[in-house]
Amino acid sequence: MAKLKKRSWAEPFKIKVVEPIKKTTREEREIAIKEAGYNTFLLKSEDVYIDLLTDSGTSAMSDYQWAGMMLGDEAYAGSKNFYNLESKIQQYYGYKHLIPTHQGRGAEHILSQILIKPGDIVPGNMYFTTTRHHQELAGGKFVDIIIEEAHDPESTHPFKGNIDIEKLEKIINEAGANKIPYISLEGNVNMAGGQPFSMQNAKELYKLCSKHGIPIMLDATRAIENAYFIKLREDGYQDKTIAEILKEICSYTDGATMSSKKDHLVNIGGFLALNDDKLAQKAREMVVVYEGLHTYGGISGRDMEAMARGIEEAVQFDHMQARIGQVEYLGNKLIEIGIPVVLPIGSHAIYLDAKKFLPHMPQDQFPAQTLAAEIYIDSGVRTMERGIVSSGRNKETGDHNYPKLELVRLTIPRRVYTQAHMDVTAESIEAVYEEKDKVKGLRMVYEPESLRFFQARFERL
Amino acid sequence: MNQKALDSSRQDLKDFKTGANTMSKSIEPYKIKVVEPISQIGRKEREEVLKKAGYNLFNVPADKVMIDLLTDSGTSAMSDNQWAGLMMGDESYAGSRNYYHFEDTIRDIFGYEYVIPTHQGRVAENLLCQIKVKPGDYIPNNIHFDTTRANIEHAGAHAINCVIDEAFDTENKHPFKGNVDLNKLEKLIKEVGPEKIPFCMITITNNSGGGQPVSLENIKQVKELVDKYHLPLLFDACRFAENAYFIKTREEAYRNWSIKDIVREIFKYGNGCTMSAKKDGLVNIGGFLCLDNSELATKVTNLLILVEGFPTYGGLAGRDLEAIARGLKEVLNEDYLKFRISQTKYLGDMLEEAGVPYVKPAGGHAIYLDVKKFLPDIPQSQFPAQALTCELYLNGGIRGVEIGSLMFGYKDTKTGKDVYPDLELLRLAIPRRVYTTAHIEYVAETIIQIHQNREKIKGLKLVYEANILRHFTARLEPA
Repeated sequence: MAKLKKRSWAEPFKIKVVEPIKKTTREEREIAIKEAGYNTFLLKSEDVYIDLLTDSGTSAMSDYQWAGMMLGDEAYAGSKNFYNLESKIQQYYGYKHLIPTHQGRGAEHILSQILIKPGDIVPGNMYFTTTRHHQELAGGKFVDIIIEEAHDPESTHPFKGNIDIEKLEKIINEAGANKIPYISLEGNVNMAGGQPFSMQNAKELYKLCSKHGIPIMLDATRAIENAYFIKLREDGYQDKTIAEILKEICSYTDGATMSSKKDHLVNIGGFLALNDDKLAQKAREMVVVYEGLHTYGGISGRDMEAMARGIEEAVQFDHMQARIGQVEYLGNKLIEIGIPVVLPIGSHAIYLDAKKFLPHMPQDQFPAQTLAAEIYIDSGVRTMERGIVSSGRNKETGDHNYPKLELVRLTIPRRVYTQAHMDVTAESIEAVYEEKDKVKGLRMVYEPESLRFFQARFERL
Repeated sequence: MNQKALDSSRQDLKDFKTGANTMSKSIEPYKIKVVEPISQIGRKEREEVLKKAGYNLFNVPADKVMIDLLTDSGTSAMSDNQWAGLMMGDESYAGSRNYYHFEDTIRDIFGYEYVIPTHQGRVAENLLCQIKVKPGDYIPNNIHFDTTRANIEHAGAHAINCVIDEAFDTENKHPFKGNVDLNKLEKLIKEVGPEKIPFCMITITNNSGGGQPVSLENIKQVKELVDKYHLPLLFDACRFAENAYFIKTREEAYRNWSIKDIVREIFKYGNGCTMSAKKDGLVNIGGFLCLDNSELATKVTNLLILVEGFPTYGGLAGRDLEAIARGLKEVLNEDYLKFRISQTKYLGDMLEEAGVPYVKPAGGHAIYLDVKKFLPDIPQSQFPAQALTCELYLNGGIRGVEIGSLMFGYKDTKTGKDVYPDLELLRLAIPRRVYTTAHIEYVAETIIQIHQNREKIKGLKLVYEANILRHFTARLEPA
C-alpha cells in the first residue's frame, strides 16, 4: 500500500440548521466600505460574505445546546439553569463561586472594581482592549510581562503566551507586593496572536506569587484552547484529557473572568469565578447593581443552560482538533502562498503581518486598517485591524502608540464555516497580495476618545 | 378599531366611572404552544427550603416554587413568532440585521432618534446616571424604582419622589395614582434650583406605587412645568403599553385612539426613555435607552462599548434583539392588553370580595397587598410584608416579593434611627401570558385562607444585609 499523504480532517459534526449568506459585487462592496468609513466594524453584516471579524459570540450552537435553550428557567431568582452552570464550573474549572455576567467585560468590570485601588499595578501577559480599560478605570496601571518572543511575529516559540517570570519578579521587588492586587494571566493571548502559556510557566508563576501573597486571576476566555496546546506541545501532558489539563491550570489561580462567547460555544454570556468567600460576597453585591441578580447576572436562564452544555462540548478532544485544525488549515494555505503571517499559528485566528504585507506604507497611514478594507472589497470577507488603530494614543504625549505588531486578524468562528469558505478566504488574500503595490493608505477623519477602533472613520489618501 | 373592541372599551370606561364591579374571567387571546412543568412540593419541604434561604424568597431555587409571582420582569412567555425570531438571530459582532430591525421598531413606536441597546434596563439607567448625574444633584420622579434609586444614589445624587398624595392612600380609587404632584415638583425645583436637576423622570406605570398609571393630561402638565425651567424629561418606560391601555380606558379624550397613537403621544413629551424590555417588551432579557440628543447619545455610546458591548448589540445576542423587536409590536395589541389588565383585576376583585386589603385600584402588572392593614400588629421593624411573603410560600408554594421596610428601609446616617417607607406592601407580580385563570384563582384562595388565620403570623429580624439593594441578598430569621 502506498504511503498516504497527510489525511484530510473532517468536522466531528454534521449541519442541522443553515443560515443564508449574501454574495455582493465588487461595486457594491466599494460603496459599502466607503459608507462604513473604511472600518470593517461599521459594515452591516448583511453586506458581508464570510465574517471573520471575531470568534466572539459567533459560534454555531449544537442541537444539544438549542434543546437546552428550550429548557430555560426564566425565574428572576434561583433558576435551575444557574445551579446547573454553577456545578459545571465547579466540575470543569474547580472554582468555588460563580457570579454570572452578561459577557466577559461585565466580569472584568466587577473584578477591577473590587480589587484595584488607585495607584495599583496590574501585571499581565499582554493587554486586551477591554481588560486594560477596566483596570485603568479603577485607577490601576497595566504592565506587560509577556516574554519578548511574543512581540516577534517570526519566532516559533511553542508558548509565546508565557509570562517572563524574571520581569515580574523585578516589578514586584520595585513596586512592592502590596501595590499589586493581582496578576492577570490570559490563556491563548489574543493580542499576541492566540498564543498559549505552558503549564510549567503557570506553575512557576504560582510559586512566585504564593511567595508574595499575590493572587492570580485567569482570563479564561480561551483557556480550553490553551489546554489543547499544552496537551499537544508540553511533555507529560500527552495522555491527559483536556478537562484534566484545564482543571490543573485553574488550580494555580485564585479566580477567573470568562467571556463564554469564545470557548463555551455560545452567543452571549460570561462570568466571574472566585475561590475566596469574602471576595465573592463583594462581587455579588456589585453584580446586582451592574448586571442582574446573582443567580442570573444579566443573562437569560436559557443562555446559562447553553453555556453549561457548551462547556461539556468544548473540552472534547475531537471538537478542539477540528476547531484548531481548521485555523491551521487556513494558516498553512497562506504560508504556502507566501503571505506573511504571525507564527506559530494560534488557536482562534490567523494574523496577517501588515507591515510585511504592505512594506511601502508608513504605520501612520494605517496599513492593517487599509488591508482589512482591501480584503473586504476583493471578496466580502470581513477581518479586523489589530495594530495602530487598536492601540490608541499615548495619554501623555497625545501621539499614536506605535505597536510593534501591525496585524489584520482573520478570526474563525467555531463550527460555522466549511473548508470551502477557508479556500475562498485564502484565494482572496492571495489576490490582494498580488496587487499590493497599488494599495493606498488611509487617514482618520473621526476618532472616538476611547476604544477608537470600534467606531473610527477613515478616508482613502 | 372594530366596533366590538370599541364597545368593550366604552364598557370599561363606564365601569370605571360608576365603580361597578364587573368581576369576570377573561379568555386568553392565544393558545398554549409549549408548556413547562411546575413543581408541587409539600409544606414540610417548603419549610426546610425557606429556612435554608434565610427567609428571603430571592434565595429560594425556582424549582421549589409552584407559582412564581416574584416579578413580571423577564418571565414572559414568548410567542411562536418571537421564538421564530430567535432562530433568525444574526450573531455578527457588528452590524447585525437584528439590530437594524430593533432600531427601526423602536424609532417607530417611541419616536426617538437614538436607540442604544443594553443587556437590561438597569444598565440604561446606569449609563444615563454616569454621564448626566453629578454628586449633590436631585432627580425627581413620581416614585423611583429600586434600581433607579440605587443608580442615582450610587452617582452621589438624591432620588426624590413627587407622586400625588392619593398614591399613599391604599383605599383611594383615583384612576391615575401614578400622577406627578406638580406642586411638589415645582417646589423642589425652586428649592434646589434647576441647575441641580439634570433631568426629571416619570415612571410608567408607577411600579413602586402599585403599578398605577399616569394620565396623559398629567404628562403634558409636567412637560409644561419642566419646559419653564428648561429641564429634560425622561420616562422610565418599562410598562408603557399597560399605561397606554389605562389611558385609553380611563381618560375620556383618548378612548378612540389606538394604543400605538397613545404611546407616540406619551413619548412626544419626553426627551428620551430608559426601558427594561423584560416587561412590556415581552422578552426574557434585554433593555434600551432612547435619546433625542445626539451629543448625549454619543457620550452614552462610548461608555456602552466599555461596560456593555458594541453599539449594534449592547451586550445582547442578535436573536434577543430580534425577539424584542417582535415583542414590542405584539404588546401594542389591544386584545392582549385587555386580557393582561383584566387578569390582574380579576385577582384583585376576588381578594376585595373576601375583604383582603390591597392597593386599589388594581395595578397593571401586579396586586399589592396592603400589609400594614393585613398585619396591623407587626411593627415595621419586624418586616411584616416579608413575614407575609414567607407565609404565602409556606401555605401555597407561591412566591411574591416584599416592597416595604426591607426593600426601602434604611438607617439615617445623622440620627442613627431606622427610617421606614410609608407603604408596606407585598407585590404579586403576574408574568405575561404564563399563568391561567385557574392559577390565579388558586393564588386568591391561598391568600384568603391566610387572611382568615392572620393573627398567627409572626415578624422577622435581619441577620445579614449588604450595603446596597439589601433586599436581594438579605438573610432573616423569625423574631
